[in-house]
Amino acid sequence: MSSLEIRDLTVELGDRIILKNLDLSISSGSFAAILGPSGCGKTTLLRSIAGLITPKGGAIRFGKQLVSVSSLVLPPHKRNIGYVPQEGGLFPHLSVEENVSFSLGKKTSKKERDELVEELLDLVGMPNYQKRLPQELSGGQQTRIALARALAMKPAMILLDEPFAALDQTLRSEISQEVVALLKSSKTTSIMVTHDREDALVSADIIALMRDGQVVQSGSPSEVYLKPISAAAAESTGDILTLPANKIEGNQYLSPLNSPVEQIGQRAGYESGQILVRPEEIALNLEPGERRVSAKISKINYYGHDALVELNFAGLSQVVRARVTDTKGLEVGSNIFVSHKGPIRWVPEKATDQ
Amino acid sequence: MGQDSWAKRQSRPSITLIAASLIAFLAASLPLFYLFRRAIDAEISEISLILFRSKTLEILATTLGLTIAVTALSTLIGIALAWTLFNIDLPFRSTLQALVILPVAIPSYVFTYSWISLIPGFKGLWAALFVLVLATTPYITLTTLAALRRSDWSTYEVAQTLGLNGLQIFVRVTWPQIKNSVAAGSLLSALYVLSDFGAISLLGVDTLTRAIENIYRGSFDRSSASILALILVAISALVIRLEERSRQRLHIIKSSNRIIKRAKTNDKLKVKLIALFGIGSYLALGLAIPLFQLLSIFLANSTSINYSLLFKASISTLIAACLGALIALALALPVGVLSAQGSRLGRVSDKAILIVHALPGIVMGLALVSFGSSIPWLYQSLLLLSFAYALLFMAKAVGSVRSSVDRVPKNLIEISATLGLPKSATFRRVVIPIATPGLLSGTLLVLLAAMKELPATLMLKPIGFETLATQMWSYSSIFRFNEAAPYALLLVLIAAIPTFLINRPDKGDGIGGDQI
Repeated sequence: MSSLEIRDLTVELGDRIILKNLDLSISSGSFAAILGPSGCGKTTLLRSIAGLITPKGGAIRFGKQLVSVSSLVLPPHKRNIGYVPQEGGLFPHLSVEENVSFSLGKKTSKKERDELVEELLDLVGMPNYQKRLPQELSGGQQTRIALARALAMKPAMILLDEPFAALDQTLRSEISQEVVALLKSSKTTSIMVTHDREDALVSADIIALMRDGQVVQSGSPSEVYLKPISAAAAESTGDILTLPANKIEGNQYLSPLNSPVEQIGQRAGYESGQILVRPEEIALNLEPGERRVSAKISKINYYGHDALVELNFAGLSQVVRARVTDTKGLEVGSNIFVSHKGPIRWVPEKATDQ
Repeated sequence: MGQDSWAKRQSRPSITLIAASLIAFLAASLPLFYLFRRAIDAEISEISLILFRSKTLEILATTLGLTIAVTALSTLIGIALAWTLFNIDLPFRSTLQALVILPVAIPSYVFTYSWISLIPGFKGLWAALFVLVLATTPYITLTTLAALRRSDWSTYEVAQTLGLNGLQIFVRVTWPQIKNSVAAGSLLSALYVLSDFGAISLLGVDTLTRAIENIYRGSFDRSSASILALILVAISALVIRLEERSRQRLHIIKSSNRIIKRAKTNDKLKVKLIALFGIGSYLALGLAIPLFQLLSIFLANSTSINYSLLFKASISTLIAACLGALIALALALPVGVLSAQGSRLGRVSDKAILIVHALPGIVMGLALVSFGSSIPWLYQSLLLLSFAYALLFMAKAVGSVRSSVDRVPKNLIEISATLGLPKSATFRRVVIPIATPGLLSGTLLVLLAAMKELPATLMLKPIGFETLATQMWSYSSIFRFNEAAPYALLLVLIAAIPTFLINRPDKGDGIGGDQI
């Protein structure tokens, strides 16, 4: 296992710049998730790490080994990387044991080979599957065998390209938890590409948020969720509301939720700005009170475990959504009193005195 | 530094592959080179005399007329059969689908032989039209059925809900999805008629192939024969070009094939009876009557059959055809792989091989006689005969290699690399094993065609070497039908095996469907 260090990585495919001066650090033995919308370049990043794409510039380092820099690009078969693509990518003409032992050289004796296969199949919870063919396995089983195959080569790093995307919701949650637990216990540095924020938040030690070919923020799941550095970063990890906050006096600002915002340090002095609010950070009260603002309920979307309530504020054209677990007393068309119960996340918009 | 992906670099051809492909290209160019060389031996006045004499124009008109008529009729019947088998809920439908393809295993000269022996006086242009339509219809049925299976079934249901009737659905929804495949089948049918020698010779119809054979056999005038052969090549090339121009890029997006497993079929009794009558008529004329006739003659004369000669001819047929199929595979493999990788050399070689594929057997025979006569040890050898088979039918193998290599998922090649395997090992352990069924299918296609080949075999076979086709021909051309029957029957039975294997009913869309 080794750490991953990427500096200034730029990748062009045809005329398009897919990755632009991308930086990323992942410490040894951690499980990282690259999270971003479709087309942001996350799969290209993974393929560059695997050596399947030749970057235009920048450097990729596995631990102390430089694997990609302008003068040297190590081919994929020399990188010692385990790659698990979508739907597993098992070789259809080979049995499970042949797939798992695919990377083992001729120096490995049959006995050693059999023992390793058995050990890995036990590890992924599929003992006695040696003779099965890939087409006899379910989607989840194929993913697990692909993981065993990748682990057989004792890789420095494992790359997972949306490995659970093809599975249905129930199976997906079950398999992803199993796979993540397995990889964490093996202490193999793992990087998973996903566009599913729940997958990333639940599984990863580190999340790297990608937008337009760049990593816009990276950190622990709670860090990227609770302290997004921009509205785009916030959107990547969950629903977010961007609300205006206008200057009252000095460093004091006010949002439509009546939450006072005080700015300090270098951010102070902006004429106006925006605050980022998660829907679950908006409290709905049936009675008026201090710092509570009146709003009208325009719609209630019920999801079973919770509901999203759409609110209209006087003087604000934007619809504000609040997530509540209890809809008792809430009716479309009625007035409600809203307060802000979460941290203030300030996004400066316009500076006047810099 | 290059910005290309590793996969692109991975697909760059190796020197070995380029060299092997060049050899295949040169081999494919050989017959064309020798034809031109022979043709330019003739004086200009001699060339114009051959080209513009009334007999040549008459032969040309007969050839073109017969080709157009057969292609048009077989296309109509082929589409009708395929559509019926696909859309109507008939009993034993998969068996019927296999049976309507089986006439492919019967060479045209065997068809003709069986009908001549059944109806004395069966001769002339109409008889040729009848026999060639029966022989070429399966090519269209096969390609159309494969296209129907590939088409998006949900569009038919949507068309019904939009108020279209059966005919409107066929014209506006089905036809656009199948027309490229129908055109490919019609091309095969046209090339079949242009190159046919056995049927038209037995029926006494003067087409270009027969004229070439007559000039060659009658006067050993290879220059005049080569000029006529080049006319035939030009017509074949024109037909290929026409088919290419008519072809449109067609991308079928299967929107819901996971949900709709099968198109809804018509199960009305009246419709079923009409369909069964149509299919039954074709099977009776194209399969049952010829086979019954062969069997009757065979059984009536079973005591007088020279079994040792029959056995020897069978073995000779298999040896020559197997050798031809192996040479074809060896030549086709590098070209097919290069073509699948999008290499320019692959595409050029592929095209040259396709043009050679359009060469009638008699023209190939003529070219290789010219080539072989300058190399004494090769002339009239088994190797030259097998080489002719390989050149004639290599396009079938190239098509199979290309499509089967193309079908190997690119991500498996990438995964193999990330698992530590270099390019050559990936090719050996991933690409070849996955492509093997397609490669075998291509080899079988060549084997089938080579076993039935007659005109080139007649010209190139070693002295004393007889195949089932030549032995049957030597008897039937002098109307000794009783002696010819066992050879014809055995040839059909042996050829039926690869035909069945390639198009077996349990196989989804028939790999050989577009190529047989």
